[in-house]
Amino acid sequence: MKRAELWIGLVLVAGVVALALLSFVWTPFNPTGVGSAPRLAPPGWPHVLGTDHMGIDTFSRILVGARSALYVGIIAVGIAALVGVPLGILAAWLPRWGAEGMMRAVDVAYAFPALLLAILLAGVFGASTETAMLAIGIATIPAFIRVTRAGALSVLASDYVLAARASGTPVPVIAVRHVLPNIAHLVGVQASVSFAMAILAEAALSYLGLGTPPTVPSWGRMLGDAQTYLFSHPGQAVWPGLAIAGAVLGFNLVGDGLRDFLDPKLQEVS
Amino acid sequence: MAKSEPPIGATRRARRTIGAAVAAMALALTACTGGGAPTTTPAAPDPGATATQQPAETRTLVVGATAEPATLDPTATDAAAGTQALLYNVFETLVRIDAEGHLKPLLAQAWDVSEDRLTYTFKLSPNARFSDGTPVTAEAVAANIDRIQNGTTAPKLKKAMSVVAATAVVDPTTIDITLTRPSVTWLFDMAGAAGIVMNPAGFAAANSETAGSGPLTLGRWLPGDSIVLEKNAQYWGTPARFDEVTFRYFKDPNAMNASMLSGQLDIISNLQAPETLAQFSDTSRFTVIEGSTDAEVTLSINNGATPEGVTPGTGNEALKDVRVRKAITMAIDRQALLDTVWFGKGTLIGSMSVPTDVWYEDLTGTHPYNPEEAKRLLAEAGHPQLTLRLQPAALPYASKAAQFVASQLGAVGITAQVEELQFPARWVDTVLQKADYDLSIVAHVEPRDVVTYANPAYYWRYDNPAVQEAVARADAGTVAEYEAEMRTASRLIAEDAAAVWLFALPNLVVTKTGVTGVPENANSSLAFDVTTIAKA
Repeated sequence: MKRAELWIGLVLVAGVVALALLSFVWTPFNPTGVGSAPRLAPPGWPHVLGTDHMGIDTFSRILVGARSALYVGIIAVGIAALVGVPLGILAAWLPRWGAEGMMRAVDVAYAFPALLLAILLAGVFGASTETAMLAIGIATIPAFIRVTRAGALSVLASDYVLAARASGTPVPVIAVRHVLPNIAHLVGVQASVSFAMAILAEAALSYLGLGTPPTVPSWGRMLGDAQTYLFSHPGQAVWPGLAIAGAVLGFNLVGDGLRDFLDPKLQEVS
Repeated sequence: MAKSEPPIGATRRARRTIGAAVAAMALALTACTGGGAPTTTPAAPDPGATATQQPAETRTLVVGATAEPATLDPTATDAAAGTQALLYNVFETLVRIDAEGHLKPLLAQAWDVSEDRLTYTFKLSPNARFSDGTPVTAEAVAANIDRIQNGTTAPKLKKAMSVVAATAVVDPTTIDITLTRPSVTWLFDMAGAAGIVMNPAGFAAANSETAGSGPLTLGRWLPGDSIVLEKNAQYWGTPARFDEVTFRYFKDPNAMNASMLSGQLDIISNLQAPETLAQFSDTSRFTVIEGSTDAEVTLSINNGATPEGVTPGTGNEALKDVRVRKAITMAIDRQALLDTVWFGKGTLIGSMSVPTDVWYEDLTGTHPYNPEEAKRLLAEAGHPQLTLRLQPAALPYASKAAQFVASQLGAVGITAQVEELQFPARWVDTVLQKADYDLSIVAHVEPRDVVTYANPAYYWRYDNPAVQEAVARADAGTVAEYEAEMRTASRLIAEDAAAVWLFALPNLVVTKTGVTGVPENANSSLAFDVTTIAKA
């Protein structure tokens, strides 16, 4: 059963990646060519998913939109992991008062919603894909710090680490050689879940006009544009909605599946 | 997510909890509706029900609107929301602007201008009364002008009234107003919020009670929901046709449309999303009126002028070349843009003037759509390839238009880098104040805003002495000269391609069948005048 979950997730994620890769080499129509086709055409041929309010082929936009979603996900999770994991290990290493102080700071940062931070950054630096990625990335750092610290604490307490410390191995070496490999599965699960959140956040920000600029296809913006046609052309909202739901579900299932797959304790129960 | 035995038990427990929660919520909801009902029923009157119960007694009109006023004093803020519901309906002015944009008498029966055009003599209607029965006198007019100039009123109105040098009460129904310089614009301003004549006895409570002389008075104000206006039984002119006029405010256009479809509204004062018009295609139930507004959706170009005393803006140097600006104009198929961006609703304009401006002339053919000619002009100017920033306000029409414009500019070799700017704060800071932009898109709603091209410090950074002289002569001249000079200014900026005027937003009004007399155009007074409306 758990395997099935993981597999469904992997298939969905692979689908999104395939759409994004395909968009680099082929789209059925120009995804930014305004007015090249009738507007708001229903699904059919040659526009398999119809056209949007600008007369742009919806399928082409979905393809290129996958790129935006993955792009934002990769960079945002990358930022969060690159900053969060070292800080998490540091928090595990610090003496008690230092770690406590740091974790309380993380709690404060955790309480700050990602979307609010993104709106703030968009206000200061202007709305763009980069600001959205930065904001989502920063907002995800606390989650990585917590997960990493929890894992690192148990690793640091193990006998082989004590032995390494006793033999004078420098701290950074222990962190890289012993701690990182043993918490990789935790970070992997967190990355997968954060990836789903990043895609959702990008969609939300673009929907609000605070993310990807209008000329770049994005699922969230497509959804935002479709809102005004909800009563007259409800089909417009379905495709980007399905794409977002599929991608988010996929990454979440992969995260869940990975956790169950990698965690020996949970495996025993099933 | 969990599928094995122990978690299933957990799931079942969770389900029971959810069930209990749903039941609790349902109870809570019922409680809310039960408790709220007595207060909300009168707040949202059902015109149909009222009409059937008391057909001969209460005649009501319910108008749906989007911008709710923050105060009942239209002179207290620059926002147009208070003006929309209250001007001409509750508050009156000496002169008014009719649907065609012409000045008409209101409180003043007639007015005269002295030979040097510095002194206006207004003859008040002797019957005019405030809603408490006291007559509208020349003293009251003078007190109102003094209040605008020296009271806590909106800066825009203070500026409009700053040309008044002195007021002299000749007799109770005659007032002389002397200006520091001849100004036709001032007379037009007197027809808007700046010219409101309030009962001086009501100045102190102007933000919560209304003390006007109009055919309606304030009944109830429910902030966040509605303003109910009641018939002024003492009205000095033609009495109102309705006993009650309700302005209901909606934050979401879809909610307003749904209310109209379910019969709760008689009128949608301005439909926000033209693509939803199809919902009102049933002509047996609804009438759709397409008029014009004063809002020019403008693709602004940083003309790069550096007037003295103004911090220079940051724009692409190429835009100083009129050939490049013409090429940008010619690269954009404005009819196709209107069809795509605003469903073909709206008016194509060739300059910063709209059909309700008295001096309007059709300038849409000045630089017609011609991408080949645009390419030629760009090559001639030495910019066959050009990269420009396009920073629209982050508003639905602007971002759609930006997408379209970027695509069409691309076809003539101009790469437009689109970056939306949050509106208003960021757009105002970056574009309007610092002029740090190449191209931008926003709608300009101010009436007679062609005069902004006479101000080289304005964000167009457009410095053309001919336009400045025309605008100065217009203000100083007679009404006929004003029209001629404003027409000249409009034509000059169009020929100079000082900006690309994409289209004027439409005034889309939806009424129930049987409602007549709704003003077709939203004119420069910004009022939604219900005095002409009738309901069968």
